[in-house]
Amino acid sequence: MRQRITFLQEPQDSLDPKLLEVTSDSISTKELKAAREDRVTFGFDELPQELYRVLKASHELHIRWVSPNNYNTIAPLVSRLSPGLHLFYTPQRNNNGSNLLCPMLKKVFGDLDCQSPEKSFTTLPVERFALSAATQYYQPLESLHDLVEYGQHKLCQSSDQECLSRISSLLDASSVDIDFDTISHALTITAFWPPQTRHLSVKNTIKNTRLEVGILSVESPKEPEELSLGGFLTVVGEDTKPSPTLFSFPARHHPTGSTFSASFLTPTGMHPTLELGISSSRPPTEERSCSLHAHLTLPRAIFVDKYQLSDQLLLASKNLSAVHYITTPVDLEAPAYAMTLWGSSVLVELAPPSSGAEQPWTEQPWTAAIPLHLRYLPPTSSTSGQSPLHIPYPVVFWACVADEGSKFPINPFDRVNLGYDGLFGPKTMFYHLPPEGDTLINTITVPVLDLDKSKYVELGTAGVVLLGFLWVGWCLWRVWSRNPYGSGANKVAKEKKKQ
Amino acid sequence: MLKFFSSPILVFSSAIVLRVVLFFYGLWQDANSPMKYTDIDYYVFTDAARFTARGYSPYDRETYRYTPLLAWMLLPTTWSATWFSFGKVLFAIGDIVAGWLIVLVLQASSKMSTERALKFASIWLLNPMVATISTRGSSEGLLGVMVIALLWAIMKKRIYVAGLLLGLGVHFKIYPFIYAPSIIWWLDDEQVGSRKSGSSTKTDIVSQIKNFCNGSRIKITVTSLLTFIILNTLMYSIYGWPFLQHTYLHHVTRLDHRHNFSPYNTLLYLNSSAPGTSLIPLESVAFIPQLFLSAFALPLMLAKKDLPSTMLAQTFAFVSFNKVCTSQYFLWYMVFLPFYLPNSSLLARKYLGIAAASLWVAAQALWLQQGFELEFLGKSTFVPGLWLASILFFLTNIWILGIIVSDVGSGPRPLRVK
Repeated sequence: MRQRITFLQEPQDSLDPKLLEVTSDSISTKELKAAREDRVTFGFDELPQELYRVLKASHELHIRWVSPNNYNTIAPLVSRLSPGLHLFYTPQRNNNGSNLLCPMLKKVFGDLDCQSPEKSFTTLPVERFALSAATQYYQPLESLHDLVEYGQHKLCQSSDQECLSRISSLLDASSVDIDFDTISHALTITAFWPPQTRHLSVKNTIKNTRLEVGILSVESPKEPEELSLGGFLTVVGEDTKPSPTLFSFPARHHPTGSTFSASFLTPTGMHPTLELGISSSRPPTEERSCSLHAHLTLPRAIFVDKYQLSDQLLLASKNLSAVHYITTPVDLEAPAYAMTLWGSSVLVELAPPSSGAEQPWTEQPWTAAIPLHLRYLPPTSSTSGQSPLHIPYPVVFWACVADEGSKFPINPFDRVNLGYDGLFGPKTMFYHLPPEGDTLINTITVPVLDLDKSKYVELGTAGVVLLGFLWVGWCLWRVWSRNPYGSGANKVAKEKKKQ
Repeated sequence: MLKFFSSPILVFSSAIVLRVVLFFYGLWQDANSPMKYTDIDYYVFTDAARFTARGYSPYDRETYRYTPLLAWMLLPTTWSATWFSFGKVLFAIGDIVAGWLIVLVLQASSKMSTERALKFASIWLLNPMVATISTRGSSEGLLGVMVIALLWAIMKKRIYVAGLLLGLGVHFKIYPFIYAPSIIWWLDDEQVGSRKSGSSTKTDIVSQIKNFCNGSRIKITVTSLLTFIILNTLMYSIYGWPFLQHTYLHHVTRLDHRHNFSPYNTLLYLNSSAPGTSLIPLESVAFIPQLFLSAFALPLMLAKKDLPSTMLAQTFAFVSFNKVCTSQYFLWYMVFLPFYLPNSSLLARKYLGIAAASLWVAAQALWLQQGFELEFLGKSTFVPGLWLASILFFLTNIWILGIIVSDVGSGPRPLRVK
């Protein structure tokens, strides 16, 4: 097991290293204003048997959980995903062990609507970017209670207070990543807590494990695509005092000055429109070509009609430019209760309004609207025919083409497999717009059949259809009793004869 | 006004001008507004045609649920942006041809004057709903011309042509199969005029069956079946399982949850969301009253009295009792109205006609209003609103169907001259 704990500070909050107390198995200080990232790497032999069996069947598995409560990020950890539980998964070739995945996920995360990768997962485009996984799954998940319980039970000794409290601190984390791939043969858990003033005290209670603690803040970089970090690193148990460090690396994810809001226009009806409010249309950098995108993660009850969004006039009227990616397939007709796939994700390029020729952008806030459609949801009772539907915020970012030469070598804080990064070229830089609002979930109500009023529907329909059938039958019988089968002409002729 | 209907040129050029105006208005609206005039289905057809043009299957386009013939017909729409509207022109021409055939059938079968025939054909030709549907690019009008051509061929005793059209129609949209029993029943010796002397006197079953199987009946059965089988074999050999799945099986297995005019709609939503909880599997027995009336009882009782009006009654019954019902289906029976109305009590008794028409419109308006509240205001109007509206619409349809049955049953009405 290896541990890396990083505290990230704003330059003005930088800690005086003299205030750090380093002992043979711990590091502590009274007060520290910083965000925290914990990264714990487990070897295969340190994992519970049941987890190992599932991972053995995976080529790669990336789990991303994001809290529904809004939080602040700090460079270099600025990348975002929609709140909820995301899963990016490539099964091992020629292995049928992937049917263990869903039961395992349910055991770890609680009651997920996951039947099997074949039934519940959607496929991702694979040809574009080697770093992205083959399939995707998502489910809204508000808290990691079940994960914490599972971890405490399976990973900690019941007497190890440090272990128990470290795991239960995941309940306050804003995002948790779990990564596994066959090449590294290791499982990494990365958790992020947003900036706040905290008491620092880390102990290394397990022998023969490496614990590295860094306290870093952002320095001004030399190159625009680079991030520069300076501060102190301490390997607990080896170092007797923190050693200063300064390093730069080309970064994939960057912060920006503008923000976005996401809300639904009312009334939402069966065709809700998601309105994105962007605080400014100013691109993050003028040296590269950048485009603004929204990446939507839509649970199966709501979807985008790609055919509707192929019309240029409609797109332009909503300040959209193009739909670059949408999960295939997206059934355009099926009710939600007849589907097993988790839903769909969509990448839409937004079209910022330009104010004039000399300045192609404006500092004015503006909006873009994404038309969506609802599926029918199961009928309900005692809700007056309305069902709530929780829809996570999208993520909004500028995607800028990086210099020809610049690559993103694996940097210690890089983050990939976010669902949208694989839809761009490997040299793309992402400038993330932080969302506004406390909760990153929009809740709308969907009209459904009210079971309280539907008791008479079955008998009523049957009765009316029967009545209609009998009425037509009666009319036919009257016709038949007067003149069976034959043509009217015959009858007229006969009547004429009689006369 | 009197003059207007006496001139075929005036009536037909008005019908054409109506469609040309709507066609160009549609092009203008599509080019200038995010709200499209063109029907969503037209984009489905043309996308499918594009797939076909590139050598792919039309079923690669999601929600393409038609015969590949339609995609083939619309291949010119893939040539250029101008040709994109070719399909609408084709459908509109189909309308006009159907109108012309209506006139021919009226003149031939009802011995109607040209003026009177044109007046009744105008119910189709000058109907803004019909013209709008075809210029928006909905293919339902093609069905109209197919079934009217079928009727015309039968009336002209062009049995092989009729068989071909019947097979084609069923291949295209399934429902025209209900016309097979009425046409076959109608084609008796009296119509065919080939009664062999003495053959009708025998009453044992064998000779009755022999008697029933006259040449025309055999000819049309064989021709239509052959056409149907050849077309389906051809399409299956090219496009395989997706052809069967999307063109035919889909209509059996579909879960029609989205609200529509059918009386079964709410029940289908209820039962599909919780399978196995209903007392009777109503949605699977729903076809019994529908097919009993439209494919058996109505043809048997009425076909020999008045074939065109019987076809109206059958279509009306089929659409009213169907598990899915949208306003495009109304075109299926509207095309037969010119044959029925001249002898109908709906025209003879003014108030009855007005009452029927207003009820038919009012029930739809109620339904549309409830549907609007659901779709755009998000109100749960499934029950009682939409359900009651669809039940009212069904009852109205059934009441009108009863009137049609009685009218056709009582034979040609003596002309009342005012």
